[in-house]
Amino acid sequence: MAAYDAIIIGAGHNGLVAANYLAKAGRKVLVFERRGIAGGQLVTESFGDGFSADSLHASAHLRPDIVRDLGLNLPAASARSPYVCLLSDGKRLTIDADLARARATIREFSAHDAERWPEFVAFMERAAAFLDAAYRTPMPRLPHFAPVREGLPLAGLLWKLRRLGGRDMFRIVRAMSMSAEEFTDNWFESDALRAAISALAIHGVTLGPMSAGTGFTLMHNWLNRGGLAHRPVANGVGTIAVALVDALKARGGDVRTSVEVQSIIVDRERATGVRLASGEEIPAPLILSAADPRHTLLKLVGAAELPPEFVWQAQSIKLRGCVAKVHVQTNGQHGLPEGTLAVAPSIRYLERAYDAAKYGEISKEPYLEVTTNGNVVSIHFQFAPHALRNPDWNAANGIVEQRAVDTLDAHCPGFKASVKRMQVITPRDLESTYGLSEGDLNHGQLILDQIFFMRPLPGWSKHATPVDGLFLCGSGVHGGGGISGASGRNAAKAVLKL
Amino acid sequence: MAANQYDAIVIGAGHNGLVAASYLARAGKKVVILERREVVGGAAMTEEIFPGYRFTEFSYVVSLLRPEIIRDLELPKHGLKILPLPSTVTPLDNGDYLGSWDDHDLTRQEVYRHSPKDAEAYDEYSRVMARAAKAIKPIIGMVPPDPSSLSPRDLLGLLKLGQYARSLSEKELYRIAKLVTQSSADLLDEWFEFDALKGTKSASGIIGTFLGPRSPGTAYVLLHHYMGEIDGAFRAWGFAKNGTGGVSAAIANSARALGVEIRTNAPVDKVIVKGGVAAGVALQNGDELRAKVVLSAADPKRTFLQFVDSKHLPDDFVQSIKSFRVRGSSGKLNIALNALPDFTCLPGEGPLHRGAISISPSVDYIERAYDEAKYGQFSKNPYIDMIIPSMIDRDMAPPGHHVMSCFVQYAPYDIEGGWDDAKRDAFGETVISTIEKYAPNIRQCIVGKQVITPKDIERIAGITGGNIFHGELLLHQLFFFRPAPQWADFRTPLPGYYFGAAGAHPGGGVMGAPGKLAADAILKDVD
Repeated sequence: MAAYDAIIIGAGHNGLVAANYLAKAGRKVLVFERRGIAGGQLVTESFGDGFSADSLHASAHLRPDIVRDLGLNLPAASARSPYVCLLSDGKRLTIDADLARARATIREFSAHDAERWPEFVAFMERAAAFLDAAYRTPMPRLPHFAPVREGLPLAGLLWKLRRLGGRDMFRIVRAMSMSAEEFTDNWFESDALRAAISALAIHGVTLGPMSAGTGFTLMHNWLNRGGLAHRPVANGVGTIAVALVDALKARGGDVRTSVEVQSIIVDRERATGVRLASGEEIPAPLILSAADPRHTLLKLVGAAELPPEFVWQAQSIKLRGCVAKVHVQTNGQHGLPEGTLAVAPSIRYLERAYDAAKYGEISKEPYLEVTTNGNVVSIHFQFAPHALRNPDWNAANGIVEQRAVDTLDAHCPGFKASVKRMQVITPRDLESTYGLSEGDLNHGQLILDQIFFMRPLPGWSKHATPVDGLFLCGSGVHGGGGISGASGRNAAKAVLKL
Repeated sequence: MAANQYDAIVIGAGHNGLVAASYLARAGKKVVILERREVVGGAAMTEEIFPGYRFTEFSYVVSLLRPEIIRDLELPKHGLKILPLPSTVTPLDNGDYLGSWDDHDLTRQEVYRHSPKDAEAYDEYSRVMARAAKAIKPIIGMVPPDPSSLSPRDLLGLLKLGQYARSLSEKELYRIAKLVTQSSADLLDEWFEFDALKGTKSASGIIGTFLGPRSPGTAYVLLHHYMGEIDGAFRAWGFAKNGTGGVSAAIANSARALGVEIRTNAPVDKVIVKGGVAAGVALQNGDELRAKVVLSAADPKRTFLQFVDSKHLPDDFVQSIKSFRVRGSSGKLNIALNALPDFTCLPGEGPLHRGAISISPSVDYIERAYDEAKYGQFSKNPYIDMIIPSMIDRDMAPPGHHVMSCFVQYAPYDIEGGWDDAKRDAFGETVISTIEKYAPNIRQCIVGKQVITPKDIERIAGITGGNIFHGELLLHQLFFFRPAPQWADFRTPLPGYYFGAAGAHPGGGVMGAPGKLAADAILKDVD
């Protein structure tokens, strides 16, 4: 008999959340992690003496219901820092979390926009709350075959939408398919403010603010972040992963790091365990993979074990990494203001940065989002596409470093002089080190045909796969991407209902 | 009945206005249709721009015209004749070409020549798309209900929609869901590898739209163009005898036969509102016409922001119409020729001259054309869809001579610095030199040319923004939301005032459906 009820592949936050839910329900679970450190994208790592940083995300917040359900003891998130847009003419647009202060600074750009700001924030919060509810609702298969039991939660969600009233309901639904450019145009006139908001809309996705569907990504990112600016986690985002591991161990679960799962063992269309890189086989009746769907299905399971049409669909999942991170250790004299800084001076600037990615090039004038932590400056760089037309990654590393530093220095003169050491993480590293296919942070692009009941694939939104006993619990399924734990929670709940 | 007293007044004698008026007259109503210009047809018209050379000035192909309209209004009896447009040829940069013929097997062989893998996928792709188009078609013919309303009519509409969805297979539903949300580039990447094939197919996804093929939502536009049918044959494109003006003329003839009074040179000033309801129309010449029903077949902006005072409409609605996107993105070149252009990929007179010739060598080519337009420039290397109507209908040009119609994208309405004669000339020159790369003798053949920018479409055809669909086919501007949420059922917040043109569901193209559905709504309300 198997020693474990369930094996979870990947100790990213979603894998750990799923493991915790299962352990809480009394299941004996074992989590395998390829890297030597648990956390997946939720890691704080050291890149040298006195040089450590949140590797990929400047902040992270699990959904409150998950924190409550799992009784996690997390450090309180710090107060929201201001969102500071560095504009081309040396000016700055500072948007404070405090509405009155934000209005005062926005008024310097447009009195009309300042008036509308509180209403906009309130709307975004309602939209995010609706999206949160949607992410908690299991997505049934489309009506034809759905039993009533599955249709009911969806009907409940639609009722919630309707109760928002005609005006909000239409606004939210329509905004999803709009471009950020159009959506912000419906609210504001100042290009600087519209660009500040649009930057959040394209954060982490390979789309430009003029692409349809960036209205949706704006709501999605707003929900996960809780607003425009980051609320950094004291002692780093890695503490959340540590808390999840501790909670799991307290529930009798186990995490084994530095163990790579090579394949999922399938016997007569049923998953029976995993085979490790060492050749060892660990049996278990339930396998949850927190790796991205394409890797799980095509690499760990393999096309031979899947229906041909399903394979074709899995091959068509759009994964498009475009984010690079540049961590900079400075001499402390970097001169950057506190807060979440964005180099996103205009909508056209952002769109041009994206144009490069369409043709496999690194943006000459990138969109940057910058956070500071003492001497260390962390730069989120877009776009550095995984699908480079000229795939010379050694050269690409240098280009990303240089453009990141030069661009920031142009807005904050003196920054470059403060640089001591740099650590760059490109989509290639995201793939090889962090195990993200094509370096896609979201395990699959957040585009309109890959969300809700079409995530990860149409007809497979319930975390199950054509292989019995194998479930998907990573960012690539309903509730993901981004850091929220929603996918892990949803998958565990689906599994526990069986 | 007194003079100037009617049952219904229709504003605008484009094909939708004509269709609506005909259906109303067919139901026994006394109808007058008011046209600003001296001719009927709106954007579907044929004009002799140079003596002896007749052009379909704006729209140029027919396929979306609803078969039931052709039947109900007996259009063939009134002169409608649709001639098939049998092929599309895409010249390639290496001197070769990619052909698509009206014979599926021939096309498959042609695709095989370029990519055996794509030829294999081609069969399945054609089948899947035809089925999706068929599945979505009944929705096109529905009146969109208001999902926020609890009125019996809307609930019944929602129920009908739900029932229809349930009648489709799960696979069909997912296919539609994906087609509605995807980018055309992503859709085609799933099936094909050959650049020119993907480029040419993706072009259908951008026509009349201010998006590039890589933007989500463009697959729907592609599907919209897939829904064309002639005599019930799906996906067939045709050319009307005497141009699209021939379509308008046939509908106008039918309308007249049904007793519709057509007044040209009758620009409308305002819709008269009495006691909160539409009561008639005041013309710019001071004349006043009375009717309990006024139907606008103009674009949404003019319908709601110009013809009616904002005080008669709710603020939210006015705001929605103001933000309705109508960015024109296409231009046209109408060229008179003394000889056929000779294409290097297929020298001499050949079958390519009888069909469409498409300059669309790759998805990237079209995407880059879009890149320029979104920053306020016309494309330096534009997508061009050419047809030579005189090859199909010899009456369009003097013997031995030809007319060529070039649909061009992108030409943004909001070009940087605004359109002027110099820019229009430069735009025309760009198009000619692009064609010249594939047909080097084109310049020597030209005896006259007319360059049309979105600004000209606005000025001549009266379409605000110069968008050929009266409003972009964006997801949030379709079905429930066209032209504004809660008002997609051809009625408006002003009782007695109706709206039935391309800016209403199901959208643009020489289709006639909005006009017919609006007439249906009126007849339901007044009878």
